[in-house]
Amino acid sequence: MPEVDFTVEVCGMAGDGTIAAGGLINEAMSHGGFSVLGFDSYPAEIRGFGRCVTNSRIGSNEIVALGEKTHALISLNDEQSRSRTPSLAEHSLVFFDSNPPAYVPEDSSLLSVLPPGAQVFGIPFGALAVGASGASRGRNLTALGGFAAVTGVDPNLFRKVIRDKFKSKGDRLVDINVKSFDAGYEYALEKFSDRLKKIFSKIETGHDPQKVMLSGNQAIGMAAIDAGLKLYFGYPITPATPIMEYLAKYLPEHGGQVVQMEDEISSIGAVLGSFYAGARSMTATSGPGFALMTELITHGVMAEIPAVILDAQRGGPATGLPTKTEQSDLHAAVFGGPGDSARIVIAPTNVEECYHFVIRSFQLAEKYQTPVIVLTDFFLHNRVENRPLIRATEGQAASWNVFPDEAFKDHYQRYADTPSGISPRALPGMQGFNFIATGLEHTEKGSPDYSPENHTKMSEKRHRKLRYSLKDLEKPAEFFASDHLDVGVIGWGSTFGSVLEAVEKSRKNGFKVGALKVTSIFPYHSETIGAFMAKSKRVLVPELNYEGQLANLIAHLDSKPVERLNFVTGTPIPPSAIQNRIEELLEVEAQ
Amino acid sequence: MSVKRFVIIGNGPAANHAAKALREKSSESRITIFSKDPFRSYSAHLLPDFIAGLIKEEDLYNRSYAHYNEMDMNLRLGQRVVSVDFSKRNVILDHKEVVQFDGLIVATGGKPRIPEQFQLFQDIMLTLKTPLDARMWVEKLRNVESVLIIGGDLTSLSLTKALLKLDKRVKFILNEDSFWPVPLNEEIYRAVTDRLEQRGVEIVHCQRIRRITQLEENLLEVETDREILETGVLGAFFGLVPDVGFLARTGLDIDRGILVDEFLKTRFANVYAAGDCAQVYHPALRDYWVSIGHENATALGRIAALNLAGSHFEVRVEPENILEVGGVKVNTSWWTEF
Repeated sequence: MPEVDFTVEVCGMAGDGTIAAGGLINEAMSHGGFSVLGFDSYPAEIRGFGRCVTNSRIGSNEIVALGEKTHALISLNDEQSRSRTPSLAEHSLVFFDSNPPAYVPEDSSLLSVLPPGAQVFGIPFGALAVGASGASRGRNLTALGGFAAVTGVDPNLFRKVIRDKFKSKGDRLVDINVKSFDAGYEYALEKFSDRLKKIFSKIETGHDPQKVMLSGNQAIGMAAIDAGLKLYFGYPITPATPIMEYLAKYLPEHGGQVVQMEDEISSIGAVLGSFYAGARSMTATSGPGFALMTELITHGVMAEIPAVILDAQRGGPATGLPTKTEQSDLHAAVFGGPGDSARIVIAPTNVEECYHFVIRSFQLAEKYQTPVIVLTDFFLHNRVENRPLIRATEGQAASWNVFPDEAFKDHYQRYADTPSGISPRALPGMQGFNFIATGLEHTEKGSPDYSPENHTKMSEKRHRKLRYSLKDLEKPAEFFASDHLDVGVIGWGSTFGSVLEAVEKSRKNGFKVGALKVTSIFPYHSETIGAFMAKSKRVLVPELNYEGQLANLIAHLDSKPVERLNFVTGTPIPPSAIQNRIEELLEVEAQ
Repeated sequence: MSVKRFVIIGNGPAANHAAKALREKSSESRITIFSKDPFRSYSAHLLPDFIAGLIKEEDLYNRSYAHYNEMDMNLRLGQRVVSVDFSKRNVILDHKEVVQFDGLIVATGGKPRIPEQFQLFQDIMLTLKTPLDARMWVEKLRNVESVLIIGGDLTSLSLTKALLKLDKRVKFILNEDSFWPVPLNEEIYRAVTDRLEQRGVEIVHCQRIRRITQLEENLLEVETDREILETGVLGAFFGLVPDVGFLARTGLDIDRGILVDEFLKTRFANVYAAGDCAQVYHPALRDYWVSIGHENATALGRIAALNLAGSHFEVRVEPENILEVGGVKVNTSWWTEF
């Protein structure tokens, strides 16, 4: 069976239905049994115009990273689409509106900047949509019809997802949108009868009902609800806002509430207050908001109050690049804040892990009574994947609170120094126990005490607890395990997909390469990571930051220097860049 | 001086040699080549070999995409020029794009000519001008065993050889209305038919075709004034006509092709025509002639470009050129009677 690995982009202005068209491609292809990874990008400015682009990589095998070359570009706005031409693959298919409302000068035309091998398919999107539905709004669907006809996608896949999308708006809307799609489909089938590519029609796939098309944002929202979230406090910030929007829509149906706070400081304060009272709560923000939260996060560390904070990283520092992806908050997440304020930091690498890690974050926070930071990024939030998602049962999402034994009622010490460092925590309302939450250094009973002995003892206790948490933190996973590696690549967060693809391709080229996925950022499994580094002749850590923040964290685990590959392009690292670096290192090694 | 913008319409030998000459003379200029066809420059004479399975489709193409990048030319395939506004000096494409030019060379070549009496049947007749046509032949020949060719131009003879290689049964109606390089006199008729018959082609002698009926997808019935024939596919080969219809309302002088002087200039400044789409004035003949063949096209393309770049070369193509057609030598001075 021939394999498909095909990337399609839709590009238009805000208002062209670009994101909707990209979403329909993802849904249709997913329903057709293909593996899909989609990613949308849109302008940072809050206004009614700007370039929107969706990127969908569609494969007959599992897709773990974005496509680097675009095989089909659907242009809903030619002037905007000109920016997409550098990433066009050789012989790419370009769909464009052949009957725009006005004449277009060459310097605004998409076709004037296409590479010579591009195959152009002019379809009068607007005119066909008007003919089919009476209005040109459906031109994005007409474009999809043309795409489906030329590439050989079963039109029923699109018809189904269009019906699903519009069914809540009534039969008429379903009908005119399907008609708009059909108009483009029929037109292209006839007009390009001698140029039909049949890329997808050659593939036999079956719909996998377990595969769910989800974005990182949706997975996080679903996980929070499945974890029994009671309260969400937040202040809008890209790219975390969609989580609040999702929860505002669905959390009330599950007995929870979303509260938009006046800022990020009050958000984290409210989260600490809720957890103090025993209710699961969370907040999500991005770098600038996270910076505001740091003092109160350390309050959670000192007072040993659980909290779940999701830091959706974007390009920084400061306001930075609001709609671009980066992994540059690692230092801030691990070390940000006053004092020795060690906390748990975990980083999912894909949408499925977003779900499971968020559920686990509540449990870790409860058990270890400390803020848990889930470190994600723009790419992870905004990408969609269709993977099997097995949702957590109530039992799997159950509380990990460590409550004090009734026997300790009379001599309960809120900050009791136990071998694990975990002090059983009483909640307000538990009769016979005292409730303390203090940001001052304190004794086991909770009384302020700044003596050198006490501060040393309690600091050690809090860090022991963190070390102990490692037993509940996921160990690094090794891919293509081997006793000896010429190059070992360590990846984290959304970059790991590119690492995995690069390593797999290098192995196909005959190189002895392996990958290690690190999801527990702090504390981290130093023995596992160290052993991986020790058995690798060269160690490479690709990251979407300038400083090599994970590399800095783990470099001391082995005597050999860590090779770094750092991108601050605002876009995901292309697998080929990692593969090239791997193979460069191998060449140097061979010399 | 600002960068000059040169536009070439067409992507055949005349167009490509014009582009090459322009680049040689003007390294800074912007050169844009428009082709309504979605494929690269190809060697038309190899199309029958492709149909016969002797070469792969890739072998038809004689310039890589990289070539255009290296030459800093913007090759725009599958993009049809629908009009030219000579007063505003721009070309208009069918997707409503407007492209300005300082200099223009029209080198659109020819397109298959279908005589009026056969135009009704155009959709069920195959021609052979482009790789796309060749693909259609390949596709069709998978399912049919017999071919009837009407006409008799140069291409039809090459195709016939290919068909015989594929063991197809070929019938041939040599039509005097075909775009033959010379008037079809008795002598040539006999020479060509003898040769075809020697190779196993059945010559159908008739004065006219009365009816063509499609009975099934791969079965046609053709009634002549003498007999009724059945064939799997029907090929129409009446030569080429200049592909200049889109220029009819632009103010250019057009007879059948674009009328140009001996320097290939049209009536508009910095606008030239070359190759099969042009009718070139011959001062000695005091008449216009149309070139055919690859060699003439490349020469004309080059001259047009050099003149557009400031030179003053006169076309010197001898009308006594001799071509060999299926083993028969024919004189191409036919164009004087065109």
